[in-house]
Amino acid sequence: MTDLPRSQHIVASGLVAAVGLWVTYVSYTAEPAAAFLFPRIIATVFVVLALWTFGKALLGRTRVGNGLSVEALKNILPGLIVSLIYVFWAAKTLGFYTASTIAFFVLLSLYDPAPHGEVRTWGKRIIITAGFLAVMYSLFAMLLNVFTPRELLF
Amino acid sequence: MKNLIAAASIALMGLTGTAIADGHDAYPERPLMLMVSYGAGGATDFQARIVTMTAGNEDALGMPIAIINKPGAGGRVGWNWFASQAEADGYTLGAYNIPHFIAQSIEGGVEYGADSFEPIANWGADPAVFVVAADSEFNSMEDVINYATANPGGLTFSGAGLFVGHHIAALQLEKAAGVKLAYIPNNKGGAGAMKAVIAGEVLGGVNNLSDAFRAREAGNVKILGVFDNDRNDFMPDVPTMKEQGYEIDNASVNFRGVMVPKGTPQPIIDKLAEIVPTMFENGRVAGKMKAGGSPMHIMTRNEVLEMWAAREATLKELLAGL
Amino acid sequence: MEFLLYFGDVFTPFNFMLLLIGTIGGLILGATPGLSPTMAVALLIPFTFRLEPAQGLILLGAAYTSTVAGGAVSAILLKIPGAPANIATTLDGHTMAKKGEGARALQLSFLSSAVGGVFGVLLLIFLTPLLAQWALAFGPSHLFWLAILGVTIIGSLDSSSVVKGLLSGCIGLWLATIGFDDIMGTQRFIFHSSVSGGINVIPALIGLFAIPQVITMFAKGRRRLDAEVIAVEKHPISKAFSEVFSRFRALTIGTLTGSIIGLIPGVGGQIAGLVAYDQSKKMSPERDKFGTGHPEGVIAAESANNAMVGPSLVPLLTLSIPGSPTAAVLLGGLLIHGIFPGSDLFDNHPQVAWTFINSMLVGQILMCVFGLYIAGLAARVAQVPNAVMAAVVLGLAVFGSYSVQNSMGDVYIMAALGTGMYFLERFGFSAAPLVLGLILGPIAEANFIQGSMIANATSSVGTYFFTGALNLLLIAIVVASVGYSVWMELRSRRYITKDDAVAKEEALS
Repeated sequence: MTDLPRSQHIVASGLVAAVGLWVTYVSYTAEPAAAFLFPRIIATVFVVLALWTFGKALLGRTRVGNGLSVEALKNILPGLIVSLIYVFWAAKTLGFYTASTIAFFVLLSLYDPAPHGEVRTWGKRIIITAGFLAVMYSLFAMLLNVFTPRELLF
Repeated sequence: MKNLIAAASIALMGLTGTAIADGHDAYPERPLMLMVSYGAGGATDFQARIVTMTAGNEDALGMPIAIINKPGAGGRVGWNWFASQAEADGYTLGAYNIPHFIAQSIEGGVEYGADSFEPIANWGADPAVFVVAADSEFNSMEDVINYATANPGGLTFSGAGLFVGHHIAALQLEKAAGVKLAYIPNNKGGAGAMKAVIAGEVLGGVNNLSDAFRAREAGNVKILGVFDNDRNDFMPDVPTMKEQGYEIDNASVNFRGVMVPKGTPQPIIDKLAEIVPTMFENGRVAGKMKAGGSPMHIMTRNEVLEMWAAREATLKELLAGL
Repeated sequence: MEFLLYFGDVFTPFNFMLLLIGTIGGLILGATPGLSPTMAVALLIPFTFRLEPAQGLILLGAAYTSTVAGGAVSAILLKIPGAPANIATTLDGHTMAKKGEGARALQLSFLSSAVGGVFGVLLLIFLTPLLAQWALAFGPSHLFWLAILGVTIIGSLDSSSVVKGLLSGCIGLWLATIGFDDIMGTQRFIFHSSVSGGINVIPALIGLFAIPQVITMFAKGRRRLDAEVIAVEKHPISKAFSEVFSRFRALTIGTLTGSIIGLIPGVGGQIAGLVAYDQSKKMSPERDKFGTGHPEGVIAAESANNAMVGPSLVPLLTLSIPGSPTAAVLLGGLLIHGIFPGSDLFDNHPQVAWTFINSMLVGQILMCVFGLYIAGLAARVAQVPNAVMAAVVLGLAVFGSYSVQNSMGDVYIMAALGTGMYFLERFGFSAAPLVLGLILGPIAEANFIQGSMIANATSSVGTYFFTGALNLLLIAIVVASVGYSVWMELRSRRYITKDDAVAKEEALS
């Protein structure tokens, strides 16, 4: 194993251990104590296991998990950013269907291997997007009566 | 300058005011949603589905009402959402359960109170009853209380949770009989509490009249008393607690109805308050409710407002001793 | 044999049409992420208002049966378990689909669903009075031990690292405590307003399984797929038939576990598939193949989750106590027609009761026929280009988790948990134990608290939780399960090196 996954393992298990410590702290201090009895039991096991994993990562004894390569991270970032903007901001601000259409189309274009220069490629992408959204609209809005946030647009 | 701004803002308010008023004429323009803070299949959910089934008729709202369940923690999850996150646009309705949400708001730790909501109309009143398993040695409330007196804190009985109607009834019983009882709240609501009684996990239980009626029909339980002022039409043979010598009023009766969040435009509230009770009065609704063993009790917005206020006063008094 | 008398009613033209609509509709709804069987059945209730009682129940019974099986479609093809019942199906089913064996996985899943389902309904028909006693035998202390038994499975669900499996389980158990405490009503761990209502299992399930999927597809980048187009293997139905029955052990374990666990009110349906998967893994000589696209994993999980359908209705039909959320919704379907389950149902409305039960029996077969028919077509999903697939799965995840409660908060939870899970998975944590913790946490906690309240009022906590035949039996199984995991871990330590573990993981991703 190269050094990259090892330091990544330290960060990842360190974060989990930090959450574990926070959970343990909260469950042993919050009131009323009766309601936190069960969380205390969980938190104790949680923090022990998390610190054990963290220790193993520090010593470089982690056996499983490949970490992330720089190349994979580069591939993920654009899609992840678009998805997170879609979910956490656009869906509630632009309207559910507008945001979904844009996000679907952008993601499709980002990861579609077909050449960007051709008109046909774009036509195909638009048709796929329209088709998917039409299916979603008829299933959720028309059949199941799910009302989605409309906000600025639709 | 100040005057100018004031004038402008008044003008603006007037403009938007009329615009909204115009907009409300067409209300409702799309399907509405009714939030039920208990799980699908529970008594409140079941009744909500029946009383809203005619909403799409031309003489009612003309638009269907979809039920959305937000169950959890005896209703707290749903009502918290309704008070803090639901949109006050008239398209988001909620089902209330009295005394549950008022008792919870008095107990604290939630973001709502009686003044966070605007009632529209009440559709049902389901009193609590005391049930024991069919093979139980208890045949009257006297037997139950005698056992409790002999074993202080040893009479286990189930109910749907803490600070819901069943719990209020349990507290009233403890107070009226002057004994210590072991109330076991169930996390699966009335159905879970009933199962605990039938399976013999507990010696008795407080449950909804409608569910107990059904369980008695199935031959699983005996009903020993009603926590209400009068006997109920569904079971005229069961005496009230008062008749058996325990001073207990109707504070625990579970009133169910429709409300909207505070801040919903007044014209919409008025329109709903006018139409919704007539929707409940529909013959088909009444027939289905009766068939399902659910007692109806229709009240208008003003009656509900009074009932909420009265209930809040009694509950504050009852819970003060805790 | 009374049920035979009413078989004719299922086959009148109108009733049979309803059965077909229920089955096909159920398969579609079940395959939609976010629509659990409970919600699908609740959605159909308004349609039954205008039907005769027996007809309404035919529709509901058929829909219940086929939504449970339909959940396998999205679990296998998209790795989105539509309901907790389908979690175990994703473990091997989706791996099979990625290898181009989607058609085979779907055929196996529908056939074993039908076998399990028919067995379950037959149990309902013949052994109802006996089963009703069994269902009532589980009190708080037993349910507590049962939940603990479920937790002990965590260690063996994740084959690569027991410690990280348990740690994932703990994270799940902790996530389950967020929000209002179910009994006391105290708020716990609320660090953001979206989690103030707690973490709903269905959106969490969608996020934890689907989002890592989407990000893995992102990670492949803008690559020409020509090189790795998966050949979707055609798989003749006859071969699937013989395969299902030749893997008799998995089928039997799945069917029996599903029937027994499905019966227990409040717990059964959600964990039947996982328990059956775990049991057949432990008892299989080929246990190393589980998790790498082993057909037995699919067979055990799917036969279990359909076998639970029949028995899960026993407490409802005999005692008028709904044992599961879906049973509660079906209770509503009976009540609006003024029919009370219990002796009233079988004595005064035998035609309604038996038509309903028969429709579930016929529904199992119909579901299997349609399922086998679509299996070949649906498996082509594996050939959909990466970019389209990523966008479609993300879209389905967002729509599906929103529609559970019409709540954006659920979508945020789904996305946050899913994104976190992708990175955790890169470091050896896994989603299945986490979800198991999320499901079992509240069951264990509520029953522990109720049990100790009853214990304090009557005897002592020790007597209440540690005496009685059923308690001791469950404790023995828990100890055996833990012991087995520890033994396997120690034994495998000797020869699993770092490289082996890495190689195995490479093969999976």
